[in-house]
Amino acid sequence: MSTRTLKGAPRYFALLGILFWAAFTLFPLYWVIVTSFKTSISVVGQATFIPFVDFDPSLQAWSELLSGERGEFFNNVIASTIIGLSSAVLATAIGAMAAYALVRFPFKVKLASGIVFFVIACGGYLLGANVFGFSRAISMIIAFAIALVLSLVTNRLRVPGPILGNEDIIFWFVSQRMFPPIVAAFALFLMYSEMGRLGFKLIDTYFGMVLAYIAFSLPIVVWLMRDFFAALPLEVEEAAMVDNVPSWRIFTGIVLPMSVPGLVATFMITLAFVWNEFLFALFLTNAKWQTLPILVAGQNSQRGDEWWSISAAALVAIVPMMVMAALLSRLMRSGLLIGAIK
Amino acid sequence: MRNDPIKYFFIWPALFVVLAISIFPLIYSLTTSFMSFRLVPPSPPRFNGLDNYVSLLTNPRFWHVTVTTSIIAFTSVAIQYVIGFAVALALHAKVPGEKLFRVGFLLPMLIAPVAVALIARQIFNPTQGPLNQFMTFLGFPNLPFLTETHWAIGALITVEVWQWTPFIILMLLAGLATLPDDVYEAASLENASPWRQFWDITFPMMLPISAAVVFIRLIESYKIIDTVFVLTGGGPGISTETLTLFAYQEGFKKFNLGYTSALSFLFLIVITVIGVVYLAILKPYLAKHR
Repeated sequence: MSTRTLKGAPRYFALLGILFWAAFTLFPLYWVIVTSFKTSISVVGQATFIPFVDFDPSLQAWSELLSGERGEFFNNVIASTIIGLSSAVLATAIGAMAAYALVRFPFKVKLASGIVFFVIACGGYLLGANVFGFSRAISMIIAFAIALVLSLVTNRLRVPGPILGNEDIIFWFVSQRMFPPIVAAFALFLMYSEMGRLGFKLIDTYFGMVLAYIAFSLPIVVWLMRDFFAALPLEVEEAAMVDNVPSWRIFTGIVLPMSVPGLVATFMITLAFVWNEFLFALFLTNAKWQTLPILVAGQNSQRGDEWWSISAAALVAIVPMMVMAALLSRLMRSGLLIGAIK
Repeated sequence: MRNDPIKYFFIWPALFVVLAISIFPLIYSLTTSFMSFRLVPPSPPRFNGLDNYVSLLTNPRFWHVTVTTSIIAFTSVAIQYVIGFAVALALHAKVPGEKLFRVGFLLPMLIAPVAVALIARQIFNPTQGPLNQFMTFLGFPNLPFLTETHWAIGALITVEVWQWTPFIILMLLAGLATLPDDVYEAASLENASPWRQFWDITFPMMLPISAAVVFIRLIESYKIIDTVFVLTGGGPGISTETLTLFAYQEGFKKFNLGYTSALSFLFLIVITVIGVVYLAILKPYLAKHR
């Protein structure tokens, strides 16, 4: 027993505080669950709380929702599920690879090559669109390709200036998360529309959404997986290297199996992030690939006082994440995430 | 550290996606922010220098929105931190039923903010909501939670606190678990009161993780849109409009592309300034307790 364990009266004061917080935390969840079983009679008038005592529960909201007579619903659930699962899987895979590379291999990037990328991409786009008269989408693609190649070349040349190491690259990855998403969401909306004008439709498509979500989950994935890989013992990998096992075999055959708990946790965190995401979905979808949060937000204006159907729709968005929370907390109790959080 | 060309194969997919989808749009939007460019009514892009930035900085609405966002962010993070620390301490001290609370307390942060806002809308409803019924029961008049400026901002802060305190609890619990026991044993031998133990041991030792957690929450709070979008829609008037919502209105309702790009870059500057100032203020304290 630790010396920090409370004893006597303070223990019960603490418990009282905790119970108060529990009531505050859990009441809204209780409320949305009971409200989804109400009908118009039990909503109008005054608030009702306890089924069978205060009001007669009814399955009306759920049957309306599930039979689809209140408009499209399954479409959004399917879109959310497909987009969420595929972006979480891909982001975890790509991010884990990058994190592993950044933990185990030395990288050197010259600051100059970063500047070259920025200047060429910016200037090349402006030149292409305004001087040479290409369409905006074409000039973007050309500028991006040229900027990428030239910055790689610059990195090989002997140019003066600071050299960035692994820590700086990781910081750069993670700092993407600091950006207000509106900056990226709006810019991405503009870029996707330009691509659409070129005949390559990205707005309201599976490909466009998944691509956007991968890009914006990568900072978290790299951050979490970096800590996880760094905590793995080096000896096993070194032993394999002595036996001349190729690096990719070490990664897929030894490192990944050892990191399953970390990968699962990262996958779940990413899935929750994508599932609940609102802003990108608002900008980048309009019909077919609209995700659940957009549908849920729309409930508000469409049916102001029909609380029972609003609650049922909200619960569809909530319940999968509650299941995940239960799974995640089991993982946490095994002490898995402690290392990742530090 | 070993060297093997395969490292490029490992890192390039991630690097390429981030460069193409995250960095490149920024460059595009940065160039757009120096142009006058509208979709409705259509007007072709025309270079106009800093005009967008100047007209934003002289627009009182921009300042109003920045202040509103700051109030919501700072107040809610402060409350979250105090409550979160208290709850984490209590859980760490193993109050009865601690395991059960640990699971329940995590729930809010995994729920979609739009769903949270929809529930909050019902609870704050002036005539049919449970909160006002409770207030009437205590003898207060019916309060206009969502239609009067101060109450509406209070409601938004409450929702933020409800949803994100769990994150602080989670992180601080992880931090508390790493504190060494021997310091506390020494302190109790010297008969230091729990109050002194908290201020002289726990709080200073938790300062680095606290600083990180508050930083993350502060930056994230500035991005708030989902909750506001559903709960108040920025109203009454524009009194609860936040930076992101303002940008959405300009960009998606008025399709004023140049102006919105400039706005999002000003937003980025605001966030960066806050981040830099925050780190500068905390740096001496963090260094002292290393």
